[in-house]
Amino acid sequence: MQASKRNLSICFATAIVAIAIAFPDRLPAQTDAAAPTRAGSSAAQVSVQVERVNPSDLGLAPSFQLAIYESLLQELNKTKRFHQVLREGDRRASEIPNLLILETTIVKYTPGSETRRAVTTISGATKLTVRSQLVTADGKVVLDRTVNGNVRFFGSNLRATHNLAKNIAKAIKKSPCSLPEQPS
Amino acid sequence: MNGFCVTASPRRDHFSGRGLIRAWALLFCCCTYALAQSATHPVNANVPFSVPVTHLLGLENTKNNCNGTLSIQDSALLFQQRGKPGAKIEIASVRDVFVGGESKQVGGLPMKLGKAAAPYGGGRVVSLFAHKKYDTLTVEYADGDGGIHGIVFQLKKGEGERVWQELVGRGVSAVVLEKQPTKATVEVTHASK
Repeated sequence: MQASKRNLSICFATAIVAIAIAFPDRLPAQTDAAAPTRAGSSAAQVSVQVERVNPSDLGLAPSFQLAIYESLLQELNKTKRFHQVLREGDRRASEIPNLLILETTIVKYTPGSETRRAVTTISGATKLTVRSQLVTADGKVVLDRTVNGNVRFFGSNLRATHNLAKNIAKAIKKSPCSLPEQPS
Repeated sequence: MNGFCVTASPRRDHFSGRGLIRAWALLFCCCTYALAQSATHPVNANVPFSVPVTHLLGLENTKNNCNGTLSIQDSALLFQQRGKPGAKIEIASVRDVFVGGESKQVGGLPMKLGKAAAPYGGGRVVSLFAHKKYDTLTVEYADGDGGIHGIVFQLKKGEGERVWQELVGRGVSAVVLEKQPTKATVEVTHASK
């Protein structure tokens, strides 16, 4: 009995080794394909188009608005959550299926000062609060989060935009933002 | 006395004749200088314009916070790092240009460490004076597919306006150019729900 079990396990091991030798480039690809199934099979095929930041008349400087936009594009690319990350106005967007649109609206903005931070430590922080929404092409909201980005101690005011974009990307990465099922 | 009369009379002649001409010439020069100061000098499109800048973010294949030269050559805006290939943007693709102002602490990390090590809060006093105002130049442009890009440059104070003027002078008038006030940010908290 024990000998047959041993033979069986040897057979299995040999078969696995043979498969590994016969298809050396197949196994890594299989593990890659298996990863999206864990996170949701449609997530890998979803692309995102990042819209420019809506300043909501809060006096956010254009340099900050564009810095948030550019940092968001960078950070979303880093997450590898989306098949493609497109910019606002990109004409290719109309051809891409399963496209989500990322809308960012400034909710609260406290302009800070690097000098005040350096002198007082406790005041002069630059604070940004935004509402990030992932919306489908037909207007359905897939994800709605309020995210903060601050600079409290060290760094320039513009660093708040980088921190904010990082936090938004983190929030999107954590959430299961798959497309809603289409009625057939 | 005689000598005085002899010397005095030609002086009087000098003031009434040549002196008057000199006075007029001086007045003319002053007026010309004043006009030159107030009027914006015309931009010669053939002369290449360049200014040292720090690229804060936005340019593809270029590191953030790197120094280089921003120049306007023919119909393109060119950012060039020393010994590296430059990044080029066609002026025709530029949609908006914004000039803003910020202030930052100077000295970098060594200064920061020095200030932290200074006893009795001496570092804070240093921070009070060790800051520098600078201009930010934000350029918004569209790529070949229509995708919007944004680039932020840091320039010496006053240089932002110069670049802006150069862009206007080189026929960017068709493009909407907005100038943001260069005043430092105001401590106001806005909130809307």
